Amino acid sequence: MVLRVWRMLFGAFLLVLSPFILASRAQQPAAPTKVVQITGLTGVKNRTKGSLAIEGGNLRFAHAQAKVDLAATSVQDVVTGNDSQRLIHGTLGTLTMFAPYESGRFLSLFRTKLDTLTIQYRDADGGLHGAVFTMPAGQAEVIKKELIAQGAHTSVPTQEGSDNSSSKAPNAKEQKP
Amino acid sequence: MKGIFERGIVCTVFLTMLFAGPALRAQEKQPAKMKASSIKVTMIESDEIKLPAEFQVSLYEDLIQQLQKKGGFQHVYRDGDRNAAEATDLVILNSTVRGFKEGSERVRQVTTVAGATSVNVHCAFTSKDGKLLLERDIRGNVRFFGGNLRATYDFAKKTAQVAHENFSPSAGT
Repeated sequence: MVLRVWRMLFGAFLLVLSPFILASRAQQPAAPTKVVQITGLTGVKNRTKGSLAIEGGNLRFAHAQAKVDLAATSVQDVVTGNDSQRLIHGTLGTLTMFAPYESGRFLSLFRTKLDTLTIQYRDADGGLHGAVFTMPAGQAEVIKKELIAQGAHTSVPTQEGSDNSSSKAPNAKEQKP
Repeated sequence: MKGIFERGIVCTVFLTMLFAGPALRAQEKQPAKMKASSIKVTMIESDEIKLPAEFQVSLYEDLIQQLQKKGGFQHVYRDGDRNAAEATDLVILNSTVRGFKEGSERVRQVTTVAGATSVNVHCAFTSKDGKLLLERDIRGNVRFFGGNLRATYDFAKKTAQVAHENFSPSAGT
C-alpha cells in the first residue's frame, strides 16, 4: 500500500517537472553575432554595425533603429570568405595616418582577421538582392550552417555536405585567405 | 590709340573663338540620348574570371544604388523582378567581369603606390527584345584609400554616369 502511494507521488512529481524538462531540451536560439552590414540589406545604410542571429527560421539583423528579417528559405546562396582590417580603424585609424614619422603606416601592419558572409536572396516580387556582412573570424561558418539547417541554399557546400546545396557549383571551394 | 583699341578687339575675338570652339564642338559631338525610363540590372556574371562572392554582390548592389541616385531612370529593377515585364522603355544592363586583380589594403596603406585593386567589367545595355544599344568596358579601381570593395563603388559610379549620359526618360534631350 505504502509502495503504491510512493509510486503515485513519484509519478505526479515527474509529471509536474515534465514541462521544465521539455523546455530545457528545446533548441536554444544562437546568441547574436556582432557584425557590420557592408551593403545590401533593404532599409539599412551601408556599413551599419549590428547583430546577426537566426531566430524562428529567419535571419535577423538588428541595429539601433530597427530589425530586418529575412526568411532563411528565401536565401538562394550563402558563401563565406576572409578579410582583414586595421587593428586601429575608424576615425582614430584615419587620424593615425597623420601621425609623425610615418607611424601611421607602421600601425597599418597590425591587422585583425575577419570573416565575410555573403548572401543572395529574393524579395516578394522575385527581385534578387545581395548582402555582405563582416564579423569576427570563425563566426561566418557557424551562421552559414544554421542558415542551411533552416532551409537556405548554398553553391559552396559545407564540409559536412548538405542536401540543400544546389548543383550550381559542385566543385567550388570556400575562399581561402 | 585707335590701333591699340582695334588690336585689343581682335585679340579678344581670337581668344573667345580659341576657348569657345572646343566647347561648342564637344556639344555638337555629344550624341542624342536614347529613350529609356527604366532599367533592369542583371546579376554580375563572371564565368571566365574567378570573382569572390562579396565582390560580385557588392558590384551588383552598388550598381543598383548608383543607378537609383544618378542614373536618371524612373525605375531601377533588380534581376528577376516580375514588375519589369510591364515596364515601358526598359533597358537591360548585362555586366560581365573581364578582369579582376585583388590588391591589398595593407600594402596600399604601407606603400601608398602598390596594392591597387581593380575590376574590369564589360557592360552591355540592351533593349527588351535583346537589341544591343550600347556597350562599354568600365574599370573600377581603388588605389590609395579604402578597402578592396571600394573598387566596386568606383565601377558603379562610372557606370551610372555612362547610363546618365546615354539614356533619358524623354528621347533626344
